Amino acid sequence: MLLRLTWLLLQKDLRVAARSREVFGFMLLFALLCVVVFAFGFLREGEAAAAQVPGVLWVTLLFSGTVGLLRLFAAEEEGGTLMLAERTLAGATPLLLSKALMQLLFSGVTTLLLLPVVLVFFDASLAQPAWVLAALALGLVGQAMLGALVAALLVHVRLREVLLPLVLYPLLAPLVIAGVRITVLTQAGAPMEALDGWLALMLGFDALVLVAAPWLHARVVEL
Amino acid sequence: MAKIASPRPTGFLALLSVATLLVLAALYCVAFVARPDVTLGIVQKIFYFHVSSAIAMMLCLSCGSMLSLIDLFAPSDRIDALAHSAIETGLAFALMVLTSGPLWARKSWGAWWTWEPRLTLTLMLLLLAAAVLGIRSMAADGSGRKIAAALASLAAPIAYLIHVAVEKWGGTHPMVLKGGGIQSPGMQLTFRVAMLAILLFAATLWTLRFRVLRLEQRLHALRLELSAQDVRKQRPGAPT
Repeated sequence: MLLRLTWLLLQKDLRVAARSREVFGFMLLFALLCVVVFAFGFLREGEAAAAQVPGVLWVTLLFSGTVGLLRLFAAEEEGGTLMLAERTLAGATPLLLSKALMQLLFSGVTTLLLLPVVLVFFDASLAQPAWVLAALALGLVGQAMLGALVAALLVHVRLREVLLPLVLYPLLAPLVIAGVRITVLTQAGAPMEALDGWLALMLGFDALVLVAAPWLHARVVEL
Repeated sequence: MAKIASPRPTGFLALLSVATLLVLAALYCVAFVARPDVTLGIVQKIFYFHVSSAIAMMLCLSCGSMLSLIDLFAPSDRIDALAHSAIETGLAFALMVLTSGPLWARKSWGAWWTWEPRLTLTLMLLLLAAAVLGIRSMAADGSGRKIAAALASLAAPIAYLIHVAVEKWGGTHPMVLKGGGIQSPGMQLTFRVAMLAILLFAATLWTLRFRVLRLEQRLHALRLELSAQDVRKQRPGAPT
């Protein structure tokens, strides 16, 4: 029931997204713009650009993810179907899960398209791509789940465009710190053991968020 | 109607007086009982209020987070007011820590700010508490409370992960208390008095905010009752 409803809601969102093509394109453009602005801000004549790659990559993903999150519940809100979707027989969880998957899909594709761009712009290459991709995957899962929760909670709140990043960024701090560290360490050619602790931290964060977010969402929405 | 804090705040006034006396005693101890530190000099005296404020902040914010979780399980106006006032008090002490911290850091580490793990964690806690309080004030009455409670209860485990992350990230962190710590009896006495004074001060602020919030809740309930009565009065001669 839960999985079936989640799948149906996700299918619906994908169909809407495929027809309108608005949010995803803007997210990608915004990510590209972020990288360009960071290049203006950080690149200095005579300094190696590659050193900036970890920070630029992770902060760009953090920022561009917000663009998707702010529009995540737009269709339900504008159509007035949010309440209906929350009060299904399986509870509000399918809605939250489908939105988190939607966000994960968007941010995942954005990342795959953005990564080569960042590497080309900053004249860098990934030393251990598998580890960086693993860190990116863990980071995006945590961001999508927690982001979907915060977006769902703030749907009816005034000034939510301002408040969403305000509450989301500090909560995502462990993922950003760990992600940047892993990327830095692989660039520096650190041994695998140095990465274990950081990956475990990201795994712990994702586990916490995957369990807590649906529960908290249900408590707030269904009371 | 829910029973609200008594109109005669005898207990609160007693708490306020004891806290005031203790803060004055702590100031006296800091100035005259504790001698200046041999290596750090007079700036070390910030320590007494800085560390106690940090502990008060941690206590308030953990209580706020736990009470928020309880409020999600068993919603009650009283628990909600307790949680909300705890987070507000915690935010006040976070500001205190982040004011006294750089003063101390400038003198002992030579920089106003370093990304030292505990400083970073305090800053993140301040940002989280401010965000939770901001959301609560922006959302409409009923929903803001639940949203803030959900975020506040999630913030505690995530704050622990932030703590782990910044500890791993920031290599060097000067430890004041680890190994030996403060040894002179005058300093120890001063630290104990300051600790007690700040904790009671925190309890006073918490109680004060709690009482104000309870009165606001009561006012809200009375307004609702009044408008319900108005509706009942108007019904016989309802507009045609």
